[in-house]
Amino acid sequence: RALNLGKLKQAYVDLNHLQPRILLSTEEGVVASVCVKTGNLMWRQVLEQKPRGDIKLLQVSGFFDENRETAAAPIGSNLGFDTLTVQGHAPALVRGWNSNLGAIEWEWSTMPLNSEQAQNALWFYSRSVLYHVVPVWRSHLEVTAYFASSGHSTGSSSKVIASWINPETCLLSGTYYVCLDFPGNQLISLDLLSKSGQVIRTPLQRLPQGKLEALPGLSGVVLSNGNLISVNKDIPVCGSLQSASYAIGSFNYRKILVYADLKTNILKINAVYLDNCSPVVELAQSVPLPDHFGTPSLSSFDCVQKKIGDGKGCLFLFSTTAESIIAVQNGRVRWSREESLANIVDSQFVDLPLADSEGTLENEINGKAGDIASAFLRRIITQAAQIRSLFLHVIGLGPPPSATQRAGLVRDSFGLHKMLVLLTQTGKIFGIDNISGKHHWQLYLPNVRGFDNKEQMRLIVQRSAKHFPLQPLCTILGKDSDTDNGVLFRFNPITGQASEGGLILLDYKVKQFSLLKETERDFVKGILLLDASNRVHVYPQHASPLADGMYLYTAGMKTAELSGYFVKYAGGKLSSKHIWNARLGGHNSEQQIVGVAGKNPIEHVHSQGRVLVDRSVLYKYINPNLVAFVTQAPDATHKSLLNLYLVDVVSGSVIFTMTHRKVRAPLHIVHSENWLAYSYFNEKVRRTEITTIELYEGKVQANSSVFSSLQAPPMPLVERQSYIIPSLVEVLRETITERGITNKHVLIGTASGSIVEMPWHLLDPRRPIASTTQGREEGAVPYIPELPLPTDSYINYNQTIARLRNIFTAPSGLESTCLVVATGLDLFVTRVAPSKTFDLLKEDFDYILISIVLVALTSGSLIVKHLASRKLLKQAWK
Amino acid sequence: GFLDHDSWITVELQHSLSATSDSFTFRGNVTIPSLNSGLANVVQPPLTDEELQQLKTLAKQNDFYRLKTTVVYSNGAKSTFLTSNKACRLLLAQLKDVLWISLDPSGFVTAITASQDAPPGTFECTPEDIDKLDETLFSTDVLIRHAELAPVPDTASFIQKVEREREARERGDVRDNRGFFAKYWMYIVPVVLLVFISGATNQEGAK
Repeated sequence: RALNLGKLKQAYVDLNHLQPRILLSTEEGVVASVCVKTGNLMWRQVLEQKPRGDIKLLQVSGFFDENRETAAAPIGSNLGFDTLTVQGHAPALVRGWNSNLGAIEWEWSTMPLNSEQAQNALWFYSRSVLYHVVPVWRSHLEVTAYFASSGHSTGSSSKVIASWINPETCLLSGTYYVCLDFPGNQLISLDLLSKSGQVIRTPLQRLPQGKLEALPGLSGVVLSNGNLISVNKDIPVCGSLQSASYAIGSFNYRKILVYADLKTNILKINAVYLDNCSPVVELAQSVPLPDHFGTPSLSSFDCVQKKIGDGKGCLFLFSTTAESIIAVQNGRVRWSREESLANIVDSQFVDLPLADSEGTLENEINGKAGDIASAFLRRIITQAAQIRSLFLHVIGLGPPPSATQRAGLVRDSFGLHKMLVLLTQTGKIFGIDNISGKHHWQLYLPNVRGFDNKEQMRLIVQRSAKHFPLQPLCTILGKDSDTDNGVLFRFNPITGQASEGGLILLDYKVKQFSLLKETERDFVKGILLLDASNRVHVYPQHASPLADGMYLYTAGMKTAELSGYFVKYAGGKLSSKHIWNARLGGHNSEQQIVGVAGKNPIEHVHSQGRVLVDRSVLYKYINPNLVAFVTQAPDATHKSLLNLYLVDVVSGSVIFTMTHRKVRAPLHIVHSENWLAYSYFNEKVRRTEITTIELYEGKVQANSSVFSSLQAPPMPLVERQSYIIPSLVEVLRETITERGITNKHVLIGTASGSIVEMPWHLLDPRRPIASTTQGREEGAVPYIPELPLPTDSYINYNQTIARLRNIFTAPSGLESTCLVVATGLDLFVTRVAPSKTFDLLKEDFDYILISIVLVALTSGSLIVKHLASRKLLKQAWK
Repeated sequence: GFLDHDSWITVELQHSLSATSDSFTFRGNVTIPSLNSGLANVVQPPLTDEELQQLKTLAKQNDFYRLKTTVVYSNGAKSTFLTSNKACRLLLAQLKDVLWISLDPSGFVTAITASQDAPPGTFECTPEDIDKLDETLFSTDVLIRHAELAPVPDTASFIQKVEREREARERGDVRDNRGFFAKYWMYIVPVVLLVFISGATNQEGAK
């Protein structure tokens, strides 16, 4: 398990405290403290889900307060709080934390009168008073003051008339509310603490290109085009500086302004004294920064206070566009945290390459076998070469092992050791060892984003490590953030290097994709792409002939319309034909698709049927093209309706429709073999339920070898049942194994961060209500409406996963074992054996005993044989 | 799963007999006076010779026969659906097909699919086979797939079952009137046997 925090929002470095510390808040609603020296987590508090847990303000006592200049090292206790956070808007919760332990010390909340306006509320802190600012656009500002630690209001809230505020260009900088006045080139600002309420207008030299940014620590200073502009006459700024990010702090008891910029992989940090703008030479430094961090921006820094500091005790904290946190000290990167791992969108387990020696052997086997003599000769040659390399290796002269070998990235005999490739929302890709958790490589794609309507980027394995001389190949399918066109990025998942074209910018928008079969030539699975104007493309292009006869479907989330396409390859050109459509949207398309679940394409179904009591077989309806769609809509009589459609996406026929009344999302589906399970929230009785469906063809099988959607058996038998689950379900996933012989279990991720392994026979819709002999013979458990969640089936024990979002499963080389990675704020990797490890010896297996027994038996039989022959000899002599 | 408010629909069928163009020609009309009863009136004029030839060329190219259906609801609303199947399957099935109309819970059509029950064994679509066929009259069955109501967790019958079991247990606990030997004979017999056997062996040893 790896713990993460999320993208940095606010950070405070405090080296002059009794205990040096870094306090930070993140976009994920996490308050945490990390160790200054190593970057390890000291404590972490995961707040509520958004919007309740959205942190609006993190205030550490003594920071950016006027006391700072007087007290040498402020100790927060006299202010009544140590660290406080403001979160949410309706109600807004203010919490005080003990910054050493991470324990919550006090809490108060306030409920705004108008919760809609309060969404834009801002908070600031000044002199132990917390101010709540609610802007009402183009009208006025409502400012309410509270004592920070008690929550008592200091008086009635004041309304400041300000018709010039608008949602686009305004911000709060310290105690100043600053807006950009559009046609006129000026900043309009207002000191919210001044009695007069005078509006200050500051003319601008240039129109700001991007958004204005506030500079924490300096009241009334904004950042525009990389320049600092002060709207506060009392605070001077060095307006001539030009930089991407600034931070304020003190050095040698003088206030300084630090700014940092990235120029061709070198991060330059410079500083000036704030009072006279003369540079602080001690702090100027440049740090080489690898590509994969993205662009850093300075979020906080602090220096150890000495009379004459040399700048070596300063720690600069950066947050980057790749959502890393970097600490720079003394001209080098002290530590870094990869917080983009808190938002993983896709994951794949990739087989590791073979060891070099095995690789050559594999090579030989793969080689096109000629006649026996040449094969024999080749065999002798390779074995001779192996002996030679072994000999050379022993005397220390052999060729150095390849890089992956040195890193220990060699496939083990059970296929349990794999490379876990993780794709994160920011476009950063990680290659992580699934056993040691080591980050082997990382890559950052700055301009690649997920698609619209919540469709994330995809990670596709185009070639596995099975084809030895060829390296494995993975591809990321995403969207360019500027042009919205599709982007492909091809890379080697073992080394993390771009390969076979690297980043490919497509000149069309991607609507749907599908994988093709492996090509003969280089064993690459082609990617079939459908663009926005329904043309089809195949990448790589030489795989185009394999796209002939493919079927594709698209689904509109909002309209709930499905369309099917047939892809044809003729005369070197690909074309698509619209062959079916379906409307799940109801009359006014008020239904929206909330869930789509197909089957895992690598799944094998081992057992074709189920044996009944009378020894006849009930055949499973195994349709690989079956996709489940779930739509939801408000309904006049039943509050909200949830409809489930099972659609064959090749022929376009709706196989089965089922409707739930008074039921709503969150919805999670898992679809595998001939069954389907989905969880939803029942509004009527306020609980989470799981409905399971099994499809059977009947007692006879139409076509046992091939399944064709165009001549499908007309109507499967549908078994269904609902269960109550005494927990909130966050994610459902089925286990998958190499050949599908092992029983399928359903992994249920609950909101409390635990993963429960639920055997399918407990979810089975054929569980009989009355415990008859028929059910017992079939091996079905009698029906109990509530599913048990026994603590011994929690596969992550007490290692809860905060904000569990997804679970990915992959088969291992062992049939009994399935690899699992659970992602959320934290990352948890494990393996499960649904039918117990039937193909492995137990861990406590007594190897010594069995070898002693074996040796004893063999030697015993030899001795006895010897004795017997002597006896025979003696008898013969008598 | 039947609808709360029954209604009628009419479906106009149009088909495309050309692989290249997107023009659809009239095939027939289906009227369903009651969605709950599912009975349908199908009116389909026979195919002209030219159309049959087009269908045969389509089949020889192993291309799709596309069927466009326009549903008109009782309130006048319209929606169109498209479905396709291999043309040769339609020919081999002697132009017999089944029109599946899938409904959503409020009685609106989600999809219309045509499927054919080809005679078994004649899957191959050779030009000779196609040329032998000269059926021109469509015969269409209309089947309606209703949406079904999902099950809810069956707590009532489970509680009943538990109650019943408890009662049964209470009744069972009244008294077991059988004698001691009648109840536990299966434990006593092996013990006695063992005693006998060991006794017998001991006697042998004593001799």
